[in-house]
Amino acid sequence: MDDNRKPEGIVLTEAQKRSRRQRSIAIALALGVLVVLFFAVTLVKGPAVLVRPL
Amino acid sequence: MSVVDHNPIDVLPRISEAEVGDYLALLKPRVMSLVIFTAMVGFFIAPGHVHPVIAFTSILCIAVGAGASGAMNMAYEGDIDALMSRTANRPIPRGRITQGEAMAFGLILSFFSVLTLGILVNLLAGALLAFTIFFYVVVYTMWLKRWTAQNIVIGGAAGALPPVVAWAAATGSLSMEPLLLFLIIFFWTPPHFWALALFRSDDYARAGVPMLPVVAGPDATRLQILLYTIVLVAIAVAPWPLGYFDAVYGVTSLVLGAGMMWLAIEVYRHREGKAALRATRRLFAFSILYLFALFATLLLEVVVRAVAPVFG
Repeated sequence: MDDNRKPEGIVLTEAQKRSRRQRSIAIALALGVLVVLFFAVTLVKGPAVLVRPL
Repeated sequence: MSVVDHNPIDVLPRISEAEVGDYLALLKPRVMSLVIFTAMVGFFIAPGHVHPVIAFTSILCIAVGAGASGAMNMAYEGDIDALMSRTANRPIPRGRITQGEAMAFGLILSFFSVLTLGILVNLLAGALLAFTIFFYVVVYTMWLKRWTAQNIVIGGAAGALPPVVAWAAATGSLSMEPLLLFLIIFFWTPPHFWALALFRSDDYARAGVPMLPVVAGPDATRLQILLYTIVLVAIAVAPWPLGYFDAVYGVTSLVLGAGMMWLAIEVYRHREGKAALRATRRLFAFSILYLFALFATLLLEVVVRAVAPVFG
């Protein structure tokens, strides 16, 4: 097997990898906040969370 | 002979180098901070007690909805932003983010902010937030902005709605107080933006945006600023004699209104040279302070009323 072969396809630059990682972390944090928010409001409003005034 | 001109593998796809800060810039943080502030006032002057988690959720959703509107606005205006010095440094003109990426970002945030507000707080608030986003993006950005000199007059309704959405989030209904807050911001918008447009009219003319100074000229704009300021000051004071807000607000409103009137008259009087430029810049800066101080007074009264019993 040839270990020295060049990688195929698109290879990301360091800047692209870094910015993608940053964006991924931001999306993960935003989703985490959303989950915590829904959980906290469910605790506050109780089981009848979907029974709400118009 | 080949039916394709080139090997598609030779054309590399665009790979984003946009950082989190670029996406945050799409949310128009300075506009968002004013939206958060006016929404907080609308929320906290509402009667009744709301759990802090619900209050936080409401303000967060309104803030994200406002940011989403900003992102979609920038997505649609990438072409004219590149032509104006004030906006040329935004992420799209700089090539950090594409218009499609910004639009997708704005749509996703709009969807989640409206859905979250509707489900976790109440449907009226969710519907009003959706309407606010629609009005800002479709009615103002896509339709009015490049079509009429009345763009920011009608479009100002979108910027005036956050305290109404917040009141609806706190109470599940609407009443006169949030509508008064709406009217104050609505009539504040023209003098504020026309003052900006007066000293940025070259920018707007280059981009082909029909702002009032570009279409009707600076003198007509100065008159309109003065007229709108008269209406603004009257409407901002009105809640006091009508009994909706108390004397502290009323006196503050009178004092600040006198400042706005004075500066609007200065803008009307000085039409040439450095004095004219200084007058418009002062009105623009003071108009921000005016709205902030007016709303801060309302917020302060709520805080004082809440804290007063603790100290007897």
